[in-house]
Amino acid sequence: MRNVAAIAAGVVIALLASTGYAESVSDKRGLTLEGAKRVLAATVAEAKRVNAPGGSIAVVDDGGNLLALERLDQTFAASANISIGKARTAALFKKPTKLFEDAIKGGRTPMIALSGDLQNFTPLQGGIPLEWEGKVVGAIGVSGAASAQQDEELAIVGAKLLDNMALAGMTNGHVSLPVTYIESQKVAASFTKGAVLVGEDENMMHAARNYMVHASHRDKPGVVEVHELDTDIVYVLKGSAQLITGGTPVGTKTIAPHEFRAPTVNGGETRNLVPGDVVIIPNGVPHWFKEVEAPFDYYVVKVR
Amino acid sequence: MRIILTIAVLMAMAGSAQAQLIEKTALTLEGAKKIAAVAETKARAEGARVVIAVVDEGGSLLLLERLDDTQVASVNVGIDKARTAAIYRRPSKVFEDQVKNGRVSALALNGAVALQGGVPIVVEGKVIGAIGISGETPGQDEDIAIAGAAVAASFTK
Repeated sequence: MRNVAAIAAGVVIALLASTGYAESVSDKRGLTLEGAKRVLAATVAEAKRVNAPGGSIAVVDDGGNLLALERLDQTFAASANISIGKARTAALFKKPTKLFEDAIKGGRTPMIALSGDLQNFTPLQGGIPLEWEGKVVGAIGVSGAASAQQDEELAIVGAKLLDNMALAGMTNGHVSLPVTYIESQKVAASFTKGAVLVGEDENMMHAARNYMVHASHRDKPGVVEVHELDTDIVYVLKGSAQLITGGTPVGTKTIAPHEFRAPTVNGGETRNLVPGDVVIIPNGVPHWFKEVEAPFDYYVVKVR
Repeated sequence: MRIILTIAVLMAMAGSAQAQLIEKTALTLEGAKKIAAVAETKARAEGARVVIAVVDEGGSLLLLERLDDTQVASVNVGIDKARTAAIYRRPSKVFEDQVKNGRVSALALNGAVALQGGVPIVVEGKVIGAIGISGETPGQDEDIAIAGAAVAASFTK
């Protein structure tokens, strides 16, 4: 009898063991550290672009556990934990945290009681789920920007990066951009007045691309320029110019975020540029085409 | 007379404003990234699955990375180790050793975990933050933390 029982048990175990993989477990995608870092990079780039006063950015996995975090300089310390809480809340509920803030604001106060059971439940705007092919694989939380609204806007940019990667069919965390081809006639036409061949756009905002290309043209001297973010790689095609680099700009004005101009500079190095010359001006270095023999044409790759 | 005295006191206070403040060195996100990058490289070379946490002088998180396939519990343990090393300005191993050697009361220290793997980040003799590693053996965690913290030696003026 005991033998029969043992055999029966054995049969049951064998049956359980032979139960198919598909019935018992399911495949799922997990966010890697590399993916999390890319989401962070896109969000940080956007924070800088909009001149956010600070920001803590947290990326969590689908279980709400922290994968990566960065706190920008000067951002208040408490924001680190708040960003984790927002991300965790968005991941565990698979919803933007604004929904909870709005619900509580709208009178559904008992929802605050969720914080009793859920560690770090944070019903504050600024947490957005991260999705891959329609499935939530984690979430991003931002705290410490100018407002709750800006926290959320930054988080959305980070979340979008992953969407774009999914759309591009990328699984290794690298975004593939289409090949850019600009035919010679258009390039030549661009040089006659100076034009942007590849400019700042969505791809740059989402950190998919880190360069711009200008077909530059000068008939007369310029002003002192300082690009806080962009390094200029210059190849001279036509004409000549006297270039001053370095020194201290005088009367500096901010004309756009990260872009400064000044009428003159104290000190600096002088070079005379002729066709065929290459100059690389690192970001932050003042530079000035002080004298120009027109037409002065030069090809610039701006690297961010 | 009284007015003059008041003014003199006020002037003296204003004059000594500088004496009421000290210069501090703060770890930037960029600095934290350099430290984490070295720790990450070492961890990857060893196949270690760890969490790397970098906190500021006050023990607040500046940067965190969880390498793929690291146990999730290490997130909080890594932060705890880093905070311990930062706010007590010594490696967290000191407390683990104390407990091991019979000073069990070290477990009661506020804000500290008596677990090896948290190492202060020191610039010109001052603790400006700390790195905490969690996920592998205590010794391996600490070796990775030490490698990361050592980067701060290059942060000189």
